[in-house]
Amino acid sequence: MRVLHYFVLFFLIVGCQQKIEKSAAITKNTNSIHHAKGFSIASTSSGITIIKISHPWPDAKTSFKYALIPKLKRDNITLDSKEYDAVIYTPLERLVVTSTTHLPAIELLGVLDKLKGFPTTDHISSKKARALVKNGTIKDLGNVASINTELTLAVKPEVLIAFGVNGQNKAYNTLQAANIPIVYNGDWAESTPLGKAEWIKFFAPFFQKEKKADSIFSVIENSYKITRKLAKTAVKIPTVLSGAMHKDIWYLPGGNSWAAAFLKDANAYYLWRERQNTGSLALSWEHVLKKGRNAEFWIAPAQFTSYTGLEAASDHYKQFTPFKNKKIYTFSKTVGATGSMLYYELASQRPDIVLKDLVHILHPNVLPNYKPFFFKPLDL
Amino acid sequence: MKNSKKTGFLFIALGIVLCVSAFLNICYGAINIPLSETFTILLGTAGSNTNAYIIWQYRLPKALTSVLVGSGLSLSGLLMQTLFRNPLAGPFVLGISSGASLGVAVLIMGSALLSSFFTFDIVTNLGLSIAASLGSFLVLWCVVLVASYVKDTMALLIIGLMFGSITGAVVGILSYFTDSEKLRQFIFWSFGSVGHLTWHQLLLLAVCVLTGVAISCYLIKSLNGYLLNENYAKSMGVHLIRSRYLIILTTGILAGSITAFAGPIAFVGLAVPHICRQLFSTMDHKVLIPAVILLGAIVLLVCDIAAQLPGAASVLPINAVTCILGAPVVIWLLLKDRKLFF
Repeated sequence: MRVLHYFVLFFLIVGCQQKIEKSAAITKNTNSIHHAKGFSIASTSSGITIIKISHPWPDAKTSFKYALIPKLKRDNITLDSKEYDAVIYTPLERLVVTSTTHLPAIELLGVLDKLKGFPTTDHISSKKARALVKNGTIKDLGNVASINTELTLAVKPEVLIAFGVNGQNKAYNTLQAANIPIVYNGDWAESTPLGKAEWIKFFAPFFQKEKKADSIFSVIENSYKITRKLAKTAVKIPTVLSGAMHKDIWYLPGGNSWAAAFLKDANAYYLWRERQNTGSLALSWEHVLKKGRNAEFWIAPAQFTSYTGLEAASDHYKQFTPFKNKKIYTFSKTVGATGSMLYYELASQRPDIVLKDLVHILHPNVLPNYKPFFFKPLDL
Repeated sequence: MKNSKKTGFLFIALGIVLCVSAFLNICYGAINIPLSETFTILLGTAGSNTNAYIIWQYRLPKALTSVLVGSGLSLSGLLMQTLFRNPLAGPFVLGISSGASLGVAVLIMGSALLSSFFTFDIVTNLGLSIAASLGSFLVLWCVVLVASYVKDTMALLIIGLMFGSITGAVVGILSYFTDSEKLRQFIFWSFGSVGHLTWHQLLLLAVCVLTGVAISCYLIKSLNGYLLNENYAKSMGVHLIRSRYLIILTTGILAGSITAFAGPIAFVGLAVPHICRQLFSTMDHKVLIPAVILLGAIVLLVCDIAAQLPGAASVLPINAVTCILGAPVVIWLLLKDRKLFF
């Protein structure tokens, strides 16, 4: 009996020591994330990259930790896999992503050919990715909310990049049981333009392309900052209205949201900037009429692409000054080959283009010769 | 004698409550417009531009829509309960609302497929109304067709429910394959809404509802006949089979047009006839028809006021409010009287 006690004690001590060693091994903290708040990257002296997702979805209580090990060092590194939500061997040769916002980063890193599957490929607009869908490299995996397990297993991904609304997805449990690591990406929960774009650095370690990601991001960051500075030179600050009605309720971006951040950086006065809300606001249309009737510009009126469409949906839209002065601009007219809006795919990765579009529209004298990419005037 | 005194008193009370709730409905909204200003705006004299617009182009049509929708649905509920001699029947038992949902679902969620044929935006208010009417009249037409084969009204009731199940399933399949934006549009339609009718649409709705009311008044004798046994009704000169078609058609006009403009509004049609029967303690349609019209209008006006959350800029879906406020009232009435007056 006593011998047993000693055994237990011995194992406890050994166990503790191992743990101490492991945490000491994390030495190098690659602290190169400046804008994104949802993830961090660190690497150990032995060559393991650790990605921590602290904010996978709004108000998340859980966080995720992933270990990325170079395939070349696979046999030399030992780690306690229980400490991580998934262990992934890099560079990846086959992966599946689940949101169109994941695509531009992969394309910019030059590894689009590694993408083997996507839920509802019809939502993809990128020309390069569409070509790969056509030649069968990127397989359709069904509906994103209930991804087809059999089709996903058949494309044999080394990792599946998911996004969660609350972390509940039965299909992912089955895939995890089949040893396909699920990695949560929280780009959509980020509320600043540069923060969202910085998620390209999250994708980079999976392909050992950290340097390339850093240089791509710094180009985007510089371009964004220069445009923001230019916008500040404008003398007049226009008032802006946004969103549209569903029945009696007007949906528009909250004051601390991603969309509102663009308007602020474009040196415009978004009429609901005081509302401390990172998501969207649902307001009675009476309130919006009272406050926004005399706005100078109306940016992003939901799905509408024409003045006649707005008028047909509700007569009340005609009361707004931007409607009368034809100052409504939408991103819904910029669509890919299958009719999906390019904005939802590309805008989060290219905030510099979005900002230039807005500055060109809101301050016509600042970027007079620029041709907007996302935002276009509504059809008459 | 005592009973008719009570009836008269109740009608006067209902009339007063209707006027008060209609006025409160116009006064109360997301934007705080002072009572005195509301009066001046309604009387046509000055008032701030935006406030005048809100009252004349939104709140007044909304109040009138509430009146028409509430009374029309309650009346069609009464007709169905009498026709089927079943207290669980409502305006939608014949599959009218599910037919309308199918029409709207096909328009909203199928428009992705149709958009290659139509260059303009077809998912508009008018488009939705037309799709809803087409859907509900398609189902109604099937029901009338079936009614000419099946003489048993209970079988007709079951067939109506079956039509509802089929269309519900088709809507389910369509929703599964639809993207979130379209799905949201459809769900918002299914919440129901009494706002955003233009004066033209309101006029059209008024014509439909008043036609329904007129036919119902003409049918009072036959409706009372349904409460007796068939031979006895015949001896009174009431032809039940013939009036059956007329009752179905009237319900179709009432519930169909209302669903087309306001979406499927639940509960009112089922509950208001019960409340009226308990209140007036009578089965006579001469009393019940005006009673459900008044009470139905009041219920919807009050629910619309309640939907406007105090102090907040957001509005609750009217469908949720009608159920949350209405169901406890019916339960309370039944508990109080300990029996269903039917």
